[in-house]
Amino acid sequence: MRRNKKIALILKDTLRSCGLQSLLVDYFQPVEISPFPTLEALQANGMENFDYYFTEAEPFAEGADYFLPRRNKTIVVVSHSEATHSGNTLQRLATDLTPEQLIEQLREIFEATPQPEFEGNKELSTREIDVLQLVAKGITNKEIADKLNISLNTVLTHRKNITTKLGIKTVSGLTFYAIMNGFLSGDEF
Amino acid sequence: MAIVYATMRLSEVVEEHPSLIPVINRFGIRLGLGDKSVRTLCEEHALDTDFLLTILNTYLNEEYFPEKKLQTFHISLLIDYLTKTNQDYLRYQLPNIERHLGYFIQQSPQGNQSLALLGRFFASFKAKLIARIQEDEERRFPYCHQLMKGHLSSELAKGPQQPTDHPTDDPIEALLEDLKSIMVKHLTGAFDDNLCYAVLFAICSLEKDIKQHNRIRYRILLPMITSMEQSCAETRR
Repeated sequence: MRRNKKIALILKDTLRSCGLQSLLVDYFQPVEISPFPTLEALQANGMENFDYYFTEAEPFAEGADYFLPRRNKTIVVVSHSEATHSGNTLQRLATDLTPEQLIEQLREIFEATPQPEFEGNKELSTREIDVLQLVAKGITNKEIADKLNISLNTVLTHRKNITTKLGIKTVSGLTFYAIMNGFLSGDEF
Repeated sequence: MAIVYATMRLSEVVEEHPSLIPVINRFGIRLGLGDKSVRTLCEEHALDTDFLLTILNTYLNEEYFPEKKLQTFHISLLIDYLTKTNQDYLRYQLPNIERHLGYFIQQSPQGNQSLALLGRFFASFKAKLIARIQEDEERRFPYCHQLMKGHLSSELAKGPQQPTDHPTDDPIEALLEDLKSIMVKHLTGAFDDNLCYAVLFAICSLEKDIKQHNRIRYRILLPMITSMEQSCAETRR
């Protein structure tokens, strides 16, 4: 399953915002971009948990309370790549460069902050296999809970983890996987 | 982004974006386009230029979906287009995937059980899509036609509710995504790489098309139906 990079643009300059959007859409899919003219607009929208915030020096300074806790997700768009920035280590994106250099800068930004991805064991646990077998047989979540003597919430958690590990969400797809891996005999498909 | 407009030569657009060919076919426009502009071709085929352009542009640009504009078109245009996309799935796209898949299974070394299973998984997807198309033709679309005439008919009531809030939960799209994911992540054993690609390519084209279809279905048609139902109910009072 593809996971979108959720990106907020807090840029007053519309053309700058459009330009950045088009670079991101063209070269860094999958992305989900939410442009805002000001930090107030973002906050009024109530959206949270972006992976990246692209903004400019001015809104950054005005919204320091907001951006500082998110500083490692924040990128300040600046006009000049040569300008010196006294000591602070904020990530920057300079706009006075060639398109290739802009793309290179963006690539470095995305590389430096790896997307949270599903780490660890992709193998299903024994309990998850139990749940998978029952799901594949077409048994409802409620009945699975009763059969395995676990709560409905636990069943839902197992199902969510199974889907994350396998990248399969429909019952038909899970059945396919169960049979292919010998968790279920083919006659039951 | 690539926006098509009325004075462009459709041949140039199609050369650049061949995925539009099935779309123009649905409107009765066939290849052999010459140098005619979109507007000329629309006039020749008695089509609403603005509607065709809107469909082409939403098809090409995932980010472009002018809901307000689409809702200003007559509902019969939308139903007609959705009916034709359904027909296209039945007549061409499903058989096309089946043909590739059949060949893929047949040409891969014997005894790869996962491929036979893939065939069965596809069959269950196909059954679901065909059922939805039948539902459209027998109940959902006739119901819309009745509403257009101002009848609020209970016999043809909408049928199972559509997931308007979460169009991404559409069961048909979910199955296609899984089909893709299964092939990309979970295929095992020996199989023919090139034919596998052909199957996936056909699946991806159908997936893209169905997403467009669903966008119109859930975000344009359903709100129009709801508002027609309301106005019917009001006139009745």
